[in-house]
Amino acid sequence: MEAPDEELMLAYGRGDAGAFETLYKRHRGPVYRFVLRAIKNRSTAEELFQEVWIRVIEARSRYAPQARFTTWLYTIAHNLLVDHWRRKGLTLVQLDEEQLVAAPDNPARQAEAREALARLAQAIEALPAAQREAFLLHEEAGLSVAEIAAATGTNDEAAKSRLRYAMAKLKAAVDDG
Amino acid sequence: MADEREISQRYRELPREEPPRHLDDAILAAARRAAETRPAPLVVPTGRRRWYFPLAAAAVIVLAVAVTVHVERQQPDVELAEAPAQAPAKRESFTPDPKPAPSQERAPAATADSRELRAKRDTEPPADLQKAQKEAQKAPSPPAPPPAASAPAPAQDAVSGTRESARADVGAKPAAPMRQESSVRASSAPSAAPSAAGALGALASSSPEQWLQGIDDLKRQGRHDEAEKQLAEFRKQYPNYRIPEAITEKFEKR
Repeated sequence: MEAPDEELMLAYGRGDAGAFETLYKRHRGPVYRFVLRAIKNRSTAEELFQEVWIRVIEARSRYAPQARFTTWLYTIAHNLLVDHWRRKGLTLVQLDEEQLVAAPDNPARQAEAREALARLAQAIEALPAAQREAFLLHEEAGLSVAEIAAATGTNDEAAKSRLRYAMAKLKAAVDDG
Repeated sequence: MADEREISQRYRELPREEPPRHLDDAILAAARRAAETRPAPLVVPTGRRRWYFPLAAAAVIVLAVAVTVHVERQQPDVELAEAPAQAPAKRESFTPDPKPAPSQERAPAATADSRELRAKRDTEPPADLQKAQKEAQKAPSPPAPPPAASAPAPAQDAVSGTRESARADVGAKPAAPMRQESSVRASSAPSAAPSAAGALGALASSSPEQWLQGIDDLKRQGRHDEAEKQLAEFRKQYPNYRIPEAITEKFEKR
């Protein structure tokens, strides 16, 4: 049975570097994609991703498990994104179309699947920043509505509304094809 | 809900990008470094400020040593300032008392020696001045130097006799004994007629403290002109020497 994130973080606070490594491997991908898809510039996204983890490292001795570690982690990421948006504006990273996953069927269906994913990617990029963030937190971090509200510093109703609008727009974009 | 599941499924078909390897390495290395360092004091010196503490400690040590040395060097002046207060007792020894107490003989001489050593260390005159003084000492000593010594006459006569014979054997001797000798000899012949040039030569060859003491004695004996000449010569040879106010005041009053 895997150790909970909170225990790992507390162990790291006591000096267990291995606990941090486990924690990092568990969350590195989702956090990276969350930041990458929220920001257009890849190098900036990498800087922010690194900054998120540096903040975690620096806070090791102050960490208290008052909520899920994931919520705390994405709160840090959200705050860094807000700082970035204040300076740069709101955009999503351009996904590389050649990296889109191809369907294993015939060429016609492959093309159709690629087009659908491309539309989804474009629709995510076109979402308002708050809705996009709510969607990414839901999909990448697996946060519930309440946790999204906590991570983004808003109330449950607003978080639920953002997520619902985001889903509706993305559905419409995928169905357009 | 079905729509949400469909969007989620589609979203998972998007590329699953991972952070580059160099980022992983950098973050994990930073985490390991942080884990090795224990939770530090409330005010942690970071980055460039880390060298402040050792530097500040070194500066404090250097400052403390410098102040100690400085205070130690100031002490000869304090002793000189006390000299006038001791002067009356010393002057008593000039009275024709044939048998002063043995303890009275040794104490002033020992004090003079220690003062001389300190003064030599602290107010070392330039090399050329030392050379000139040595040459002056090698020259025939004046026939009757002025009374300038603070030691009792009879006892010092015996001492000076032995010292003179020793000087004859050795030739060039360190300056300090010779200076003392000349001043002692002066005290042994107080009735001889002192010439100004002779007095100048004898006192000039003594240590700064002895010289000043001689000047002070001259002043007390009412030989103001000689005392002023000596003081002028003293200032010429030791321009940076702090002359005690007790002595300078006497000249200003006049």
